[in-house]
Amino acid sequence: MNTKEILIDPVTRIEGHSKITIQLDDQGEVQDARFHVTQFRGFEKFCEGRPFTEMPSLTARTCGICPVSHLMASAKACDALLAVEIPPTAVKLRRLMNLAQLVQSHALSFFHLSSPDLLFGMDADPQKRNILGVVEAHPTLAKDGIALRKFGQEIIAMLGGKRIHPAWAVPGGVSEPLSEEKRDKMLAMVPEALILIERTLVWFKDVLERFRDEIRTFGNFPSMFMALVTPTQEDKHNALLEHYDGKLRFVDASGNIVLDQIDPTGYQEYIAEAVEPFSYLKSPVFKSLGYPDGIYRVGPLARLNIIDRCGTPRADQEWTEFRALRRGVILSSFHQHYARLVEILYGIERIAQLLQEPDIVYKHVRAFAKPNKFEGIGVAEAPRGTLIHHYKIDENGLIKWVNLIIATGHNSLAMNRSVRQVAQHYVRGSHLAEGMLNRVEAVIRCYDPCLSCSTHALGQMPLHIQLLGPTGELLDEIKRN
Amino acid sequence: MGRVLVIGYGNPLRGDDSLGWEIAGRLATSIQDKPVEVLALNQLTPELSEPISEVELVIFIDASHAGKPGSWTCETVEPNATSSHTLGHHLTPTSLLAYAKIIFKANPRALLLSVAGESFDYRQELTPSVATALPAVEQFVRETVTRAGRPCHKNLQKPN
Repeated sequence: MNTKEILIDPVTRIEGHSKITIQLDDQGEVQDARFHVTQFRGFEKFCEGRPFTEMPSLTARTCGICPVSHLMASAKACDALLAVEIPPTAVKLRRLMNLAQLVQSHALSFFHLSSPDLLFGMDADPQKRNILGVVEAHPTLAKDGIALRKFGQEIIAMLGGKRIHPAWAVPGGVSEPLSEEKRDKMLAMVPEALILIERTLVWFKDVLERFRDEIRTFGNFPSMFMALVTPTQEDKHNALLEHYDGKLRFVDASGNIVLDQIDPTGYQEYIAEAVEPFSYLKSPVFKSLGYPDGIYRVGPLARLNIIDRCGTPRADQEWTEFRALRRGVILSSFHQHYARLVEILYGIERIAQLLQEPDIVYKHVRAFAKPNKFEGIGVAEAPRGTLIHHYKIDENGLIKWVNLIIATGHNSLAMNRSVRQVAQHYVRGSHLAEGMLNRVEAVIRCYDPCLSCSTHALGQMPLHIQLLGPTGELLDEIKRN
Repeated sequence: MGRVLVIGYGNPLRGDDSLGWEIAGRLATSIQDKPVEVLALNQLTPELSEPISEVELVIFIDASHAGKPGSWTCETVEPNATSSHTLGHHLTPTSLLAYAKIIFKANPRALLLSVAGESFDYRQELTPSVATALPAVEQFVRETVTRAGRPCHKNLQKPN
């Protein structure tokens, strides 16, 4: 059978470099679709030979969007190398920064990357369907997005001294305690942030009805889900939403718990890493099911799917409503947007709770030690999902080996499957329609992949679509600058 | 002197892409005037529109693929609401200025200093051609900040 290939290269409004290929058969039906990451990631090799103490600030520089996530996972891996238990106040302060990161990153994804699709619809004119179109048509929405970004960024800056690359989480704890003055400033920002996210949730739930078709076809398939959870004291199987510590839990597509109470440092027992020939992005799978059956999803949707409640009052209410969308777990990746908003609400509430705990301003925030182990693993929940840093050092404390499993990587197989599902539903024949192309891109944006953690984008990323015939000849081409 | 914001941006782990950070770092220590704020960032993000809306002059410093390594240009940039159809997690200077104009009703004067890089491989050092050019770029920015009000000639090429 002859096949034709549609190439979308690179994908717009996601971070990094990537492309999508859609293969058509003789009848013009989609035979296959793939999401490619086309630049090699060299950060792991880059770290070899460096003192382990540099790792938190070094790995944080891999990305301008999620430096705090790398900072947390790296600091935890370094704690493990020191073999120390860090002071309780340091744990709370790290949690605080990680939640601030969650809020600002989710705000960027929802307001600045996905709100154009949500406000104008997938078929709208791309000249209008962008964030500046949102700024002009619905300035309140755009302004709320900026304010929520600022809320998270300000907390990060107050804790770490700067917004983008705070070298504040260090092996053994954090470098500076929180002053009462800064705590009070942070607390003063909470009420407005809550108003903004509540307003956004009302708006989003109102427009959700318009996207029935996308909900049905955007990565709506059975898979496992994985994330960290916090077991409650009363019942270890009654798990709360977690972003910094806790245990790993896997649930299946029916919501049954497959694995629970897993020490995340034993990740290699449960997760294998497959490499696909068309992408530099590693594709982790659930080990016992192997490739490709061991597909699982991480991130906001996964986190809300595997918990028994969030653990804060308003987020619990919203979570209950969210989970009522469908009996069992929520399978459609379109609902990643909804899940992000619930997590922003949770993040703000939890930040307020942490700030009101008396010991948040205690001065003992760091444990000191020399390396006591040659291997350390740190796991935290980044906005996009579970982030794993795994280091081995020599007797001088120099890095010998690094393995980073980036949150976006866990979702690699799911993104491929989602692209295929959308393409099979919307792509017809050899004609490239704008709305169809946007949906193929939009399903990727549901996962908010941060490919600069694995690649690096320099300059503009124009949209380039090529239609190739069975022997690779160019049949059609669209460029969007 | 009016308030000035200097933003050097790029990835500090990608060779010459770190030149924005390098210049910002030098300026932060050499410019002590309070009306001047200097930022070193990986990329331009939406919330920067607010501090941009509060200054009279904003200077963006970025690495460029175009030109002979070490050569640099300075151009005036204007808000452009149609310039970011392809935005990723980052914005362009023109789209960020559009944010400031539409949301915060502010239209500060803006300059984009582009320095041509030679290598964007994984490394923390600048190439010699870029490193040699930086003192002149730094001096130009410092003088511009001091004058804060005189126009910059569009696409003025500064060979090294």
